[in-house]
Amino acid sequence: MLDYKLLERLCTADGISGQEDEVRNIILEEIAPFADDVRTDNSGNILVFKKGKKTPSKKMLISAHMDEVGFIVTYINKDGTLKFEAVGGVNDSAAFAKNVKIGKNKIRGVVCSKPVHLLKADEKKKYPPISSLCIDIGAKDREEAEKYVSLGDMIAFDSPYENKDGRIISKAIDDRFGCLVLTELIKSELEYDMYFSFVVQEEVGLRGSRTAAFTVDPDCAIVIEATTASDVPFAENEKRVCSAGGGAVITFMDRATIYDREYYNIGMECAKELGVKAQTKTMIAGGNDAGAIHCSRGGVRTMAVSVPCRYIHSSSSLACIEDMEAVYSVVKASAEKILSL
Amino acid sequence: MKEILKRLCADMGISGRESEMLNIVRELIGESAYVSADKNGNIIASLGDMNADKHIMIDAHIDRIGLIVTYIDDEGFIKAENVGGIDQRTLPSSAVKVLGKEKISGVICTVPPHLTDGDGEPSRDRIWIDTGLSAAEVRELVSLGDSIIVCSRYTELLNDRVAVSALDDRSGCAVLINTIKLLKDRTLPCRVSFVFSVQEETNELGAQTAAFSLSPDEAVVIDAGFAKQEGVPDEKSGDLGCGGIISIAPVLSKAVTDKLIDISKRLDMKCDYEVSGSTTGTNADKIAVSGSGVRTGVISIPSKNMHTQTEIVSIKDMEKISELLAVYITEGGAENA
Repeated sequence: MLDYKLLERLCTADGISGQEDEVRNIILEEIAPFADDVRTDNSGNILVFKKGKKTPSKKMLISAHMDEVGFIVTYINKDGTLKFEAVGGVNDSAAFAKNVKIGKNKIRGVVCSKPVHLLKADEKKKYPPISSLCIDIGAKDREEAEKYVSLGDMIAFDSPYENKDGRIISKAIDDRFGCLVLTELIKSELEYDMYFSFVVQEEVGLRGSRTAAFTVDPDCAIVIEATTASDVPFAENEKRVCSAGGGAVITFMDRATIYDREYYNIGMECAKELGVKAQTKTMIAGGNDAGAIHCSRGGVRTMAVSVPCRYIHSSSSLACIEDMEAVYSVVKASAEKILSL
Repeated sequence: MKEILKRLCADMGISGRESEMLNIVRELIGESAYVSADKNGNIIASLGDMNADKHIMIDAHIDRIGLIVTYIDDEGFIKAENVGGIDQRTLPSSAVKVLGKEKISGVICTVPPHLTDGDGEPSRDRIWIDTGLSAAEVRELVSLGDSIIVCSRYTELLNDRVAVSALDDRSGCAVLINTIKLLKDRTLPCRVSFVFSVQEETNELGAQTAAFSLSPDEAVVIDAGFAKQEGVPDEKSGDLGCGGIISIAPVLSKAVTDKLIDISKRLDMKCDYEVSGSTTGTNADKIAVSGSGVRTGVISIPSKNMHTQTEIVSIKDMEKISELLAVYITEGGAENA
């Protein structure tokens, strides 16, 4: 079993894109005794080298992102409430009436909108846009709010982590789960030498992975992610994309990448050999760091293995432990197989 | 007050299921008053001189808005409908507790931004709960008609403000309990019934039947009112921390309202007023016309984000209103007509 206590620490830490320090510190502390070389680069990525039993002919990079979606304080209103914008893709409907933590001091606040009783007919027909919302920290006026909050402070969801009956409900499973898998691989005994990157700023345009891939200069890469499971009652067939409980998700194409076909097949074969469930995505949707890595320098052959995760980019996403275990096994086996070729 | 409020904001007691709250209310009141429950589940705490000429009823509703299980599908998803006027705009991706044989955590289904162009319209058809459990497991633990609570963390904000779900009207219930504590050793010139009434959010049923049974002369209703915030007109709202909002309306008793205003001035409370040309949208509307009529007044606790899981109130307002009520009762209520 993977270390789900560590996943709890990773998910409850706050690391909105651009301010991944809390997450980075946990990871640095966890991997220090097990890695052969650890560096934090100018972008804030953690680059790790770990020796295996053999030195392969190819350089393999396994990558996950440390950042999560959230919000940023853009203005303080006269009445002491805060205006904010999304950092990364967040639905309007995911923001209103949620508990949040603001800035390094984790000032508590809640997201406010006009009460439902006072809405006009057309306002009832939509979710209030994020631009119309504000956050209340309890401050009486702007002057008081300024003592606690500054423009540019990052805002994270303040929601509980729960691990019960084989499923996890938490914010930021995207992509602290990937960070967990990398950490576990670094702690394990490896067949081959491998490189790992814990990258910043995926959610704002695959920025950390771009510089990490340049520095590491790999031949092949595996990106580990949490991806959009949409197997809910009001979505049918291909619109469900992938299902929670359906196994590791190996993607053939998304909005950012057409994945290496041979690696895709290797992933599926490994799952079969291991006897763990695997699936693919039935819509060309989303994108991840593979989009930056696969076209780094002269090109990198890339695959992505993800845990199917419902309600990603919200305060409460839901994923199954069985799928998480499947991702770890498939990644480890696929990396070894690719390096043995 | 904070401790009372925190206990009362428990994840239970939606309209029709208020009996879940009886033990908590009993414990909080302790020996300070005689506590009973009536046929509908109204909780009534009696105090004062049972033989006095005047009988005053103080009302706050104990029920909270929520959701109710209406169907379980073959994948284990739970279909739910609202109980009371829950703000459906807050529901997608919100955390919930399903009160089945055990408390089960879940999330309200939504589709992430990667797969949609927009959120669409808030709709009752979209209220599906995901517990992550299989249909067999869900059916073992959950029955049709079980309640579902939309949760949030009990959060203390700056300036003694608190954010959590169910402040409407558990904050009013906390005011009642605090008032009982203030009065417990005083000799009162009247009989007082503190009513923690059921089913306000659905049809004000509890207050209506309690007022009939108790047949009081006067009543004061404590409910949540709009606090000033963006999008809320000044004339409909009070400042958080202002002390309280006193309602003025044709259906309310002028004598009771004037007395409440008079006491608020003596206590240096900067109350705001909400003037309505008709009814008040609170239990007062039913209580005032109960039996041969009850002279009724309303004080509201200013509250932001009403009917969401992150309502906000000020503890200071609750304390002030509680003091005001204690004076009102000690002085035997309004002038006799």
